[in-house]
Amino acid sequence: MTKTENESADRWEAQIRKGCLELAILAGLWENRLYGLEILRVLEGDSNLGLAEGTLYLILNRLKAEGLVDSEWVDAGSGHPRKYYVLTEVGKERLLEMTHFWNRFSANLNVLTGRVVGQKELTNAQK
Amino acid sequence: MRKSDVEALIERYLSDFRRALLKVPATEREDMLQEIRCHIVERVEAYGEVTEPLLNQILDSVGDPKQLASQYKTSAMLRRAVKSRSPWVLLSTTFSWATTGVAGIVALIIAVIGYGAATASSLCFLLKPFFPSRVGLWLSPQHTLTLGYWNGKLIDTEIYGFAFRPPFNFVVLGTLPSTNGPVREMLGLWIYPVCFLGALLLLVATTSFTRWFIRKFGPRRSLSLNTGDKTQCLQSTATSLR
Repeated sequence: MTKTENESADRWEAQIRKGCLELAILAGLWENRLYGLEILRVLEGDSNLGLAEGTLYLILNRLKAEGLVDSEWVDAGSGHPRKYYVLTEVGKERLLEMTHFWNRFSANLNVLTGRVVGQKELTNAQK
Repeated sequence: MRKSDVEALIERYLSDFRRALLKVPATEREDMLQEIRCHIVERVEAYGEVTEPLLNQILDSVGDPKQLASQYKTSAMLRRAVKSRSPWVLLSTTFSWATTGVAGIVALIIAVIGYGAATASSLCFLLKPFFPSRVGLWLSPQHTLTLGYWNGKLIDTEIYGFAFRPPFNFVVLGTLPSTNGPVREMLGLWIYPVCFLGALLLLVATTSFTRWFIRKFGPRRSLSLNTGDKTQCLQSTATSLR
């Protein structure tokens, strides 16, 4: 691949990651209330979203302003208080809608990309 | 590294952040800073002992304070602007949005043209009684229409206001070049109702349109809810390929 092709591939990947961040963050909060660093660990562990850590707080702040999450400071005896985030009812509904969309969307895309992988294996086998 | 040195470095990072967020309400700002501080402290504690390069690396991975602060401010401003009907809020918001990309620049141009024309209209309405022969809607020989103040000269003609020459030549405040020659006033006393209603209409239309534009193209959620059509489309493509 040439340099520009590489760059445009990188940009495409970055866009996909960026587009999925909100879904990933909300999904991370589905079962538990979490604080910033925990959310980051969940994101790093379950999906490689390549996030600048400070950006997470900007997104959480926006999600809170939109009423999708709520937050509270909790001093759990760790020496310093932590700001925990929890999904609101609106946030849960929103997450369900997003999840349904995502599942339909990725299933359809998999049908298309499945054919591509199939073709590629076929050509490799012919060589 | 000594504990006090670590704390000093963290505080320096946070004070950069604070300085960049000065215009944000104090409670909101301090809450944000406190959260970032906790984040850094916990990262540091996880290592036990940190060296200066390691601490710098931790701060780097949090992000550049100026950049983070400017993202934060723009996003907070856009959120506020969507709910606001104040031309001043909308103009200053699109102004800082314009520094971040094409959508912002388009929004700024729309807002400047719309509010500029509204300002020209209301100034004409207010100034006409005082300068009846100078204020008006002027048609120059080059088919330039200017709503505003004419300097009274037929050579070196200048008309300050909102100028429009079909099809796409706009000047919000100022004069389009080569307007020399006899200028003709088009409206007479009709200028009062036309400018009054025009200014009102332009104000309302620009405000609604700018708000709609921010809602539509501002830094928004990742997967919007009304993408059903696209899924349908992709679904049918997939089926037809099968």
